[in-house]
Amino acid sequence: MGETTLVSGQAVIKISGLCKSYKKKLAVDTVALTVKRGEIYGLIGPDGAGKSSLMKTIAGVMSFEQGSLEVFDVNVDSEAAAEKIKGRLGFMPQGLGLNLYGDLSVEENIDFFAQLRQVSPQQLAERKEKLLTMTWLDKFRDRPMKNLSGGMKQKLGLICTLIHEPELVILDEPTTGVDPISRRNFWAILAELLREHGITALISTAYMDEAARFHRLSLMFNGQILTSGEPDVICQQAQGYLVQLTAEPQLEALKLLKVRYPQIETIGSRIRVFVNNISPDEALKAVSGQLIGVEIKNIQVFDTYLEDAFINLLRKDPLADQSIKEAIIPCFDNPLPDNQGIAIEAKQLTRDFGKFRSVDHINFSVRQGEIFGLLGANGAGKTTAIKMLTGILPPSSGEGTVAGADMRFAGQLIKERIGYMSQAFSLYHDLTVMENIRLYASIYGINRKIIKQRLAWVMQIAGLAGVSGQLAGSLPMGIRQRLALGCALVHQPVVLFLDEPTSGVDPVGRRHFWDILVHLARVEHVAILVTTHYMSEAERCDHLALMHAGRVIADDSPANMIQALQNEAGQMLKITTDSPSEALSCLEQANIKGSGLYGRHIQLLALDTETVENQIRVLLEKHSIKLISLEARPPTLEDVFVYRVLELENRDQA
Amino acid sequence: MNRSALLLWLDRIIAMTIKELKQLIRDPVLLLIIAYFFTADVYMAASGVTLNLHNAPIMVIDHNHSSASRELIYRFREPYFDFKGEISNKNEAENLLNTGKIVAVLDIPENFQSFLFQGKQAAVQFQVDTSNTTLGTLASGYATEITNDFGQDFVNKRLGLTDEQMDAAPVIQNRYRVLYNPNRIDSWFMSISELMTVITMLSMMLPAAAAVREKERGTIEQLAVSPLSSLQILLPKVISMGLVILLGVAFCLFVIIIPVFHLPIKGSIGLFFAITALYVFSASGIGLFIATISHTLAEVTLLVILLLFPLVLLSGAWTPPEAMPPVIRWVMTISPLYYYTEMSNAILLKGAGINIIWGSLTGLTALGGIFFFFGVWRFRRQFG
Repeated sequence: MGETTLVSGQAVIKISGLCKSYKKKLAVDTVALTVKRGEIYGLIGPDGAGKSSLMKTIAGVMSFEQGSLEVFDVNVDSEAAAEKIKGRLGFMPQGLGLNLYGDLSVEENIDFFAQLRQVSPQQLAERKEKLLTMTWLDKFRDRPMKNLSGGMKQKLGLICTLIHEPELVILDEPTTGVDPISRRNFWAILAELLREHGITALISTAYMDEAARFHRLSLMFNGQILTSGEPDVICQQAQGYLVQLTAEPQLEALKLLKVRYPQIETIGSRIRVFVNNISPDEALKAVSGQLIGVEIKNIQVFDTYLEDAFINLLRKDPLADQSIKEAIIPCFDNPLPDNQGIAIEAKQLTRDFGKFRSVDHINFSVRQGEIFGLLGANGAGKTTAIKMLTGILPPSSGEGTVAGADMRFAGQLIKERIGYMSQAFSLYHDLTVMENIRLYASIYGINRKIIKQRLAWVMQIAGLAGVSGQLAGSLPMGIRQRLALGCALVHQPVVLFLDEPTSGVDPVGRRHFWDILVHLARVEHVAILVTTHYMSEAERCDHLALMHAGRVIADDSPANMIQALQNEAGQMLKITTDSPSEALSCLEQANIKGSGLYGRHIQLLALDTETVENQIRVLLEKHSIKLISLEARPPTLEDVFVYRVLELENRDQA
Repeated sequence: MNRSALLLWLDRIIAMTIKELKQLIRDPVLLLIIAYFFTADVYMAASGVTLNLHNAPIMVIDHNHSSASRELIYRFREPYFDFKGEISNKNEAENLLNTGKIVAVLDIPENFQSFLFQGKQAAVQFQVDTSNTTLGTLASGYATEITNDFGQDFVNKRLGLTDEQMDAAPVIQNRYRVLYNPNRIDSWFMSISELMTVITMLSMMLPAAAAVREKERGTIEQLAVSPLSSLQILLPKVISMGLVILLGVAFCLFVIIIPVFHLPIKGSIGLFFAITALYVFSASGIGLFIATISHTLAEVTLLVILLLFPLVLLSGAWTPPEAMPPVIRWVMTISPLYYYTEMSNAILLKGAGINIIWGSLTGLTALGGIFFFFGVWRFRRQFG
């Protein structure tokens, strides 16, 4: 039985005209939505788009004011009706392990939820065994929940949500703050469980790159659904193409293109432009024609990604369009010299916590004007490395220089020259935007004569006009993030440290944020060290270091990393069939290694693509599985990350 | 340190202090709690709690019903006792004592008057509820005095002595003079003691809460990577919260304690505020230490309560140090509240000047310095 056959026409969730508001603010605005049995349905949208409110309403946790909501054909119009459906669904709220009990062990958490749901002891034992094995948590069953990594917490949350075998699961941002490997594992488990039990899932995410995993999805913004449909169909709605190019000088090219194409971004050395309403060839011509006096090195056309489609849809909305208007980014008072000097250097840097070695003899260097990305799973040692370089944490051994000063002796000097933005956007929520900036201006000792001018500069570079009097706590995530950046830039630092600066921020906000970072690196020659879980951001760095278990396991530019993997393991084959799960088991039996289910497709790395392609064609034919398409593409950074880390883990285990 | 560096240092301290004050002003719940402690709490403690025996209800089992017994009963009256009537038997008396309806029972035997007239010794029984030690002790003391007086008067009358003869008799008169609080008004002592407890609690609580809130929010990291030193991060919390506490003390003194309870200020108000500021500073050092070992506001609150009791008990406010065992008396010398209580009582009630309190002042300054820098040192170790 294939996956597609499971999706029947029967609706599990039927919503029309749904409205939900908090006091005066409308959180869900006349939403209509239908989710069919067996579907994995996605809700995608920025923070504050209304995803959580909508999901809570469907789960019967929250009441609503207008419209109708039917779950399992029960009209949920009262508390009593909501109680009726609650036994048949599972809901996992947002936040890593927030619904779990930190001091209880893995097993105790599961038992608790099972008792709550009145699962019989026999069924509990059976399901628990299976779910624990599947999620690789069986080795940790006695470990208290609070000592699990982010990815493990999410998997435990999933087990607790599924222990009573609900017919519908509602998962609110289950992958936010989880590293790529754990995320892949999480999705694989989810897909398998859904397939085995034929249940339906409604899942939200703030990340566009997860969209391909859904059967159908809705894009949400401002409480409304902008569009719904299959991922490919939504991408096509953008009616345009992406032109990707490298050009010299990059800044000049950017300036020329911006005049005509507002939807443009820099990804490392590449520029990506969205071109509307014309054929691929014309798009290529139009973009080249715009670049007079600039040397074009490499130019290609691609289909749009979901993120571009989303931004394009937003642009059509006049209200949203205002928020993405290009802002002019102001310059530093005294530009830094463009000397490409070493800005950050780590030499054999090591840090132990008791017996645990968090960072293990790492080496890397970052030049002025470079954006350096530090990647790694939760607990790989990224934050510890940053804490040592910023002087919050003394290293156990090793040395380093930051902003031209030795870490060990010139802590104070370094602190005056660097900017730092932490994971949590550490702002004072009970102070206004201006008060926050003014506080940091005083802390960094900005001269009284120029303070007014500097405050205005921060407001402009962070794009905060119009919100200066608002309390920081009342701002949406995207603006809060830019305020945190503004506070970190108030003294115009030489080096900028950003620790997971974009978790939970919408794509529009993220682009604006990266525009500022690119400006800082290219124009002001600030050295930027950034950590992230998101590969679409890692791509934008000039230089990456991949960390695993406290060590740097790869250190190169994104393009070189991809090339290296391609040389070593080949291209990524994307196989689309009419019954992916059966196809997958065929491939596994035939000993074709490394294949995995990704939404409706199967993916695997193959060095000799032609041979493997033929092998697959023959194999699928033998099992009479219909092959819809088979294409090879270069591996992505996420593929690099997953491959490198799994390679090491397998070696460690062997 | 040259001039511009000093200015920069001051600028940072001022900016951080203003930040703390703004955050406090925007927290209505916290403001309400502070206002409550400096007004209603002190008022209630001063007007409600009394250490005097006042209208203690007593009942009498009078087996005698004579003029002598009536005369004796008549002497048990306000303001110390409140005669609630007679009862007939011991069981009833015990019952009333057990249920707390009365504080004492006076039992007068059958042959009370005849024994007195025969010149024999007459005994009365006085049963007292001493579950509250202070009140019980006072009640039995007053009762002894009343019966003694009664006995003396009876003897005098039997001997037929006139008042002149009485005066000429060789009797020692114990004339005492009450200093500093001539009317022995409890509310004076109570209001000052309670105010000190409030100051102690808030001086530990507020800076600790401000510090731990930065921990909870994660803003502490942001400050740790900035050029601020630990002292520059912590001192503004102490300064701002200290200002708020001094403001509260002034309000409490000039709006509650002086107008309502008519406390006469004998000494220098300025000196009192100066030592209060010093005390706030040293108690907040303890608060900062608490902040370094706790992770949440709840932990801070519980730790403050945990430390508050021993601090108050060892302050000498409730029990004079002389009455304590030697070890505890030694421990008291490291309680900042001990010095503060000594000094503020001396200034407010006795009108002492700096020439009298300098010993305690030195003790408090030394302790305050040690506590504060210990707090800063612990903090620096955490956030280098």
